[in-house]
Amino acid sequence: MRAPPLLLALGLACAANAASLNVTVKDDKGSAVADAVVYAMPKVKPPPTSPRGAAIEQKDKTFIPLVTAIQVGTAVSFPNHDIVRHHVYSFSPPKPFEIKLYVGTPVAPVIFDKPGEVVLGCNIHDHMLAYVFVVDTPFFAKTDASGVATIDELPAGDYDLQIWHYALAAPQPAQALKMREEKAAAAFAVPLRIMPPRPAPKP
Amino acid sequence: MFGRLQDRIVVFVAALLITVQVLSFFSIRYAVEVTSQNTMREELATGANVFKFMLDQNSQQLVEATSVLAYDYGFREAVATRDRETILSALTNHAARIKASGMGLIGLDGIVVADTLGPDTAGKAFAFPELITRASMLGRTSGIRVIRGKPFQVVVVPVLAPLPIAWVSISFVIDDSTAERLRRLTSSEISFIQRQSGTPQILATTLPKLRRRSLITGLPAILDEPESFKGASVKLPDDQYEILLQAVDDSGPVPMYALLQRSTNEGQLASLRIQTALYFILALSIAVTLVGAFRVARQITRPVSKLSAAVREIERGNYDVRTNLADRDEIGELSQAFDRMAQGLAERDRMRDVLGKVASNEVVTQLLDGRIELGGEERDVTVMFMDIRNFTGIAEELTPHQSLQMLNAFLTIVSEVIESHGGVVDKYLGDGAMALFGAPVTRPDDAQRALACALEIRTRIAALGPTLAERGLPHPQLGIGVNTSSVIAGNIGSPSRLNYTVLGDGVNLAARLEGLTRRYNVPIVIGESTRNLVREVICREIDKVRVRGRTTASRIFEPLGRREDLDALTIDRLGRWHEALEMFRTRCFDAAEAAMQDLAAVPEYSRIIELYLGYIRQLREKPPGPDWDAAFTLYDK
Repeated sequence: MRAPPLLLALGLACAANAASLNVTVKDDKGSAVADAVVYAMPKVKPPPTSPRGAAIEQKDKTFIPLVTAIQVGTAVSFPNHDIVRHHVYSFSPPKPFEIKLYVGTPVAPVIFDKPGEVVLGCNIHDHMLAYVFVVDTPFFAKTDASGVATIDELPAGDYDLQIWHYALAAPQPAQALKMREEKAAAAFAVPLRIMPPRPAPKP
Repeated sequence: MFGRLQDRIVVFVAALLITVQVLSFFSIRYAVEVTSQNTMREELATGANVFKFMLDQNSQQLVEATSVLAYDYGFREAVATRDRETILSALTNHAARIKASGMGLIGLDGIVVADTLGPDTAGKAFAFPELITRASMLGRTSGIRVIRGKPFQVVVVPVLAPLPIAWVSISFVIDDSTAERLRRLTSSEISFIQRQSGTPQILATTLPKLRRRSLITGLPAILDEPESFKGASVKLPDDQYEILLQAVDDSGPVPMYALLQRSTNEGQLASLRIQTALYFILALSIAVTLVGAFRVARQITRPVSKLSAAVREIERGNYDVRTNLADRDEIGELSQAFDRMAQGLAERDRMRDVLGKVASNEVVTQLLDGRIELGGEERDVTVMFMDIRNFTGIAEELTPHQSLQMLNAFLTIVSEVIESHGGVVDKYLGDGAMALFGAPVTRPDDAQRALACALEIRTRIAALGPTLAERGLPHPQLGIGVNTSSVIAGNIGSPSRLNYTVLGDGVNLAARLEGLTRRYNVPIVIGESTRNLVREVICREIDKVRVRGRTTASRIFEPLGRREDLDALTIDRLGRWHEALEMFRTRCFDAAEAAMQDLAAVPEYSRIIELYLGYIRQLREKPPGPDWDAAFTLYDK
């Protein structure tokens, strides 16, 4: 996920020595793990930033993307591209909400104001599932299919590098990260639970 | 014991058939019993399968229903409130929706959030953690568990939002009415049993109270060895049962069983009906067998009895009996053979009858036996010739028919007397007959028999005299000549027609002796050889004769009778006669003449003395030479 140009410019302006961090995530068998969220919690609380918006689409009765990483306070919209209505809900403590049967994009986006894992479902389509992971830091990224996530514009400093994945078998300890150079790399090897597939029922 | 053939056949056939019937009866009855028991066991096993299937189906349906219930948005919202009271009332509400006995909510950590069955369990660990474990693996699960002494079907499903946020447990009681529903499907009595702290208990059952008590007494033995009771006969205090023990859920800490049972007696009602029918059939078939055996035996023995009766008839001499059995079997053949035999016997008897009239019995017997061949043998035979001397005189007074009747009457008497003394009438010779003693059958006392016979004939014929005299007929005069000599006896003639007789000089002599009776006026004349053989009969010596062509003369005698039959006077006269005869032979003719003239007045002696006085006259005129032997020469007849 690339940062919008405005923020990128801002970051460049205030931290000339900012660098990028490459994090490789593999599972305990050495396979690349996609959709893992890695995030760096600065030891020193950075100045607040206004988070960017995000969107979780519904297309073919599926949430896209499956995993959305956002910073606390992000407003997320739920555009529905299907012709059927959806009833998006969450019973997760960080953000219980529901958007009752709607088409198109609901008028008001949902603001996620607490960090943590929020599981989304659709009340009329049991198989629909999406995860929103809310972090309280602007430095986060999501691994791609090759299991690599890149956190850009990471100012030099000390961080706790943490990882989350919806299938994590157990919480993983944070890695201490000292950013001094322009490029840095980190790696996680995490045990994963097997998640049963959730196929859509055949009409 | 079973002397009669008929009884033996009846006993044998009946015993054989009845044995077969009884054996097959018992095998069928055994097969019916075994089949009935097997059928019961199979039905019980089928019932057990149905039972298990129903239980699985039931649990599956409850799981499905519960899953739907747990997906209810309102319920999930209620769960999400984390408010215990709200959750409890939502659980009560939802349990009522599917008529569950109770419903509980358990956190993902295994701690009970709320439970309608036990409000006090909130905050405590869920009683059946193994169900949660299984539900996490399988998505949902179900098991039968005992809660406060009652069995429940406990279903555990997750609350999905859309990932599990909690577990719901729903309990459905298994009680007598559940068992009753299953009983209707399996047609077996069903009891849910479990050992609770060592004591077997019936958790739910379809059994009425009495049988329930009876089952409890048998339970410890059954539960001690659950593997041996997956289809077994068990005797309980009240009845015999086929039982089948089925584990309903062994995932819990204490295994629970369903016990399916059927009363053996009730199950065997159909087989009892078959057995009753079998008894009836057995009795009927034994009756039919007995009747059949009796009839078969009768069929066999009736002709046999008839045959044996016929044989007895033949034994009695009735050769005209016939069996006339037309059967085409062996007995029929026997009967026909018998009839042919009877016919043969009758013919042979007739033949013997006819032959007996024309030949002597002994000869006929030898003829019929096929022992007679042409040719002869030499043997000593006493031959008798007999003749009614004045028969012609008698016959002149009668018609020819009457005279034939008379002759036949004489000859009948003569034949009877001859045969009664063991003699054989060889042939009839006009008004006389020729008889043999010693041929064809030789006896040691043939001569005695012949003499006794001659004396009897003399007596019998003399006895006829008065009868004939009444009719004005003359007294019959008899002449009998008897001589014993070696003769040729045998069959003489051609093979197609032959005659058994004897040939020889002695035979001729006997005929001559018969002829001499007229000359000496005596009824009987016997030869010297016969007289020498029969010393016990007193004889009067008559003369000495020489057959022409022979040098030796032989003496001839008249038998008088046994000494005891003769009176003293007769004996005395006989002695005087023999003295006179001796004088004559020693040429003392004067003395002899005087002695003889003394006896001349006696009728028996008059004729003979007349003869001798004639001899003496001739001898005086022409004195004899020195070779005179006092014999009289017989010329040809």
